[in-house]
Amino acid sequence: MPELLAPAGDLERLKIAYLYGADACYIGGKDYSLRANAKNFSLEEILEATNFAHSLKKKIYVTVNIVFHDQNLISLEDYLNKLKDINVDAVIASDIIVVSLCHKLGLEVILSTQSSILNYSAIKFWQSLGVKRFVLGREATREDIIRIKKECHVELECFIHGAMCTSISGKCILSNYMTGRDSNRGGCAQICRWPFKRCDKNAPDFTFMSKDLNMVEYIEDMINIGVSSFKVEGRMRSVYYIATVILCYRRIIDKIISHTLTDEDKQYYHKVLDRVANRDTMPQFYQKFPGVNESYFNDRIEVSNQDFLGIVIDYDEKNKLITLEQRNYFKVGDVVEFIGPNMDNVTYTIKTIFDEDKNTLDVARHPQMIVYLPFDGKIVKYAMMRAKIFDK
Amino acid sequence: MKNNQIIITINSIEDREKYQKLGITKFAYPLADFCVGMPNVFSYAEVSEDGYLFVNRILDNEGIDKLKDILDKVKCKGIIFDDLGVLELVKDKKMEKILFLSHFNTNKESIRIYLEYVDSVIVSSDITYEEIKLINEEFKGKLTLFTLGYVSGMYSRRLLVDNYSKFHHLKKENPIEIIENDVKFLVYENDYGTIFYHKPIFNGLELMNLDAQYYFINSAFLASDDIINLLNNTYQKEFDRGFLDKETIYKLKGE
Repeated sequence: MPELLAPAGDLERLKIAYLYGADACYIGGKDYSLRANAKNFSLEEILEATNFAHSLKKKIYVTVNIVFHDQNLISLEDYLNKLKDINVDAVIASDIIVVSLCHKLGLEVILSTQSSILNYSAIKFWQSLGVKRFVLGREATREDIIRIKKECHVELECFIHGAMCTSISGKCILSNYMTGRDSNRGGCAQICRWPFKRCDKNAPDFTFMSKDLNMVEYIEDMINIGVSSFKVEGRMRSVYYIATVILCYRRIIDKIISHTLTDEDKQYYHKVLDRVANRDTMPQFYQKFPGVNESYFNDRIEVSNQDFLGIVIDYDEKNKLITLEQRNYFKVGDVVEFIGPNMDNVTYTIKTIFDEDKNTLDVARHPQMIVYLPFDGKIVKYAMMRAKIFDK
Repeated sequence: MKNNQIIITINSIEDREKYQKLGITKFAYPLADFCVGMPNVFSYAEVSEDGYLFVNRILDNEGIDKLKDILDKVKCKGIIFDDLGVLELVKDKKMEKILFLSHFNTNKESIRIYLEYVDSVIVSSDITYEEIKLINEEFKGKLTLFTLGYVSGMYSRRLLVDNYSKFHHLKKENPIEIIENDVKFLVYENDYGTIFYHKPIFNGLELMNLDAQYYFINSAFLASDDIINLLNNTYQKEFDRGFLDKETIYKLKGE
């Protein structure tokens, strides 16, 4: 079975990712992770996350994927030992010292996309060091993947959704020059999203920002050519983003397995995924070399998505009442949709809103206020209420 | 001076002759179809038997296959490479192997491991002089130090200059220079990707005071006269010390 692998920036996102269908999550610790701006996990939280994952018979991987300077090595082995004691399923690494130490300690390693692997020969080198699973460079084409699978018979993990680096991962230190923050030690300031002036002539600003990745069209093909794990980018994304993206890909993969995925399904998931993102999404390198259409060249305004209206924190079956924590403005008369784990999407017209004292409200306007909604049907805890945008 | 320990990439055979007058004896030939960011490249047949192949591309499978063929035919002293896939191709070949894993090789322990597979490792110039010095002391006489030349700030497999020119309907110029917040880059692409070189030139010639095996010079986009002036300490133009004096920030939440 292909693995759907979700990002999780904290425990809330992690739990949502698993509940919405991820088979595995990858997280960063407080140390040695390339997303220093994410909340990240303390060792206690990694233990809690691991126990939660394993209670669901799911997997958890911890990123230890910075490029180490000598000063960062001091506690590395101790940290890896702790991850082993916690019983995480694997460490995601790019620096050879981490790979070597994990091998010594008996920890599984997934070679990070930071290692920029696009060929079978590099895989063979890392295989000789005990690595069994690889995240290929995001620049890997379909043909690259097929050849690597044929030559090396390894587990391949490929990104299927989310932000793209313009650079080959690991080969960019623009942040170091522009901000002093070390991009290969978690300080990437996303300089590839900045416009630059031409200094040699009066010409439009030079921009080189990639659109995001979206592989809805190719998931079935990727399964067929032997990709083992389907990875979503975004440890700093919201719970709603994680839930929406993971649920879409969960349903796509399940429908592929059951031979029920239709073109209409794919069109619907495209629309939902495009709606939840704040950038356009494209397949990028898989089938063709990315050109003008795969990048942005003008200033762009990123509009935050207001579709996420609330999260179900309880459902009282006896009184047929949803307890909902509000996330965005909604009102009586709105047509909304519930999405959630192990349930079909439910369209719902809001007829009554109660506050915590059971007074009726016309509008739920305050973030994180608790409201009650009468509802007669199947709904689960952690379901999400969103604006009804698309029919399906 | 230790000019006989310098390995320099060359832009032309004529440059080689000029550098030889300074006592430089080791020359790296940017190999056509296997380099990015190098405006002047050589076919494998042009590489001299005492020269080094310079291969800085991240290679796809096709690139690996083609390089394998070339390695069976070429006669050269050694190879300088970035992609670890190359290591598998040359591990049984009698040639000097120098690993230039750009932006990696920033700590002793990783370098110690790589030295089990190669003859020398180019230490990253992303770290400080003190860090380089300490690493170099650990492996006296085994390391190569990036000493002079433009340093890559970014390597993309995309054709960023081409895409930009097409989108804006501009006549394509290559390279171009860009600037933001007073930081400049020279952007150059070939069929295999785009390199952003930080400007001005990195001058780490003081690293030649350290006892290394080799001192590496990247001559891309540099005139041989400029390099000679730099080596003779008569260079009058602006240069940069990169991160030799500026430790980059290791950003940890909560630190």
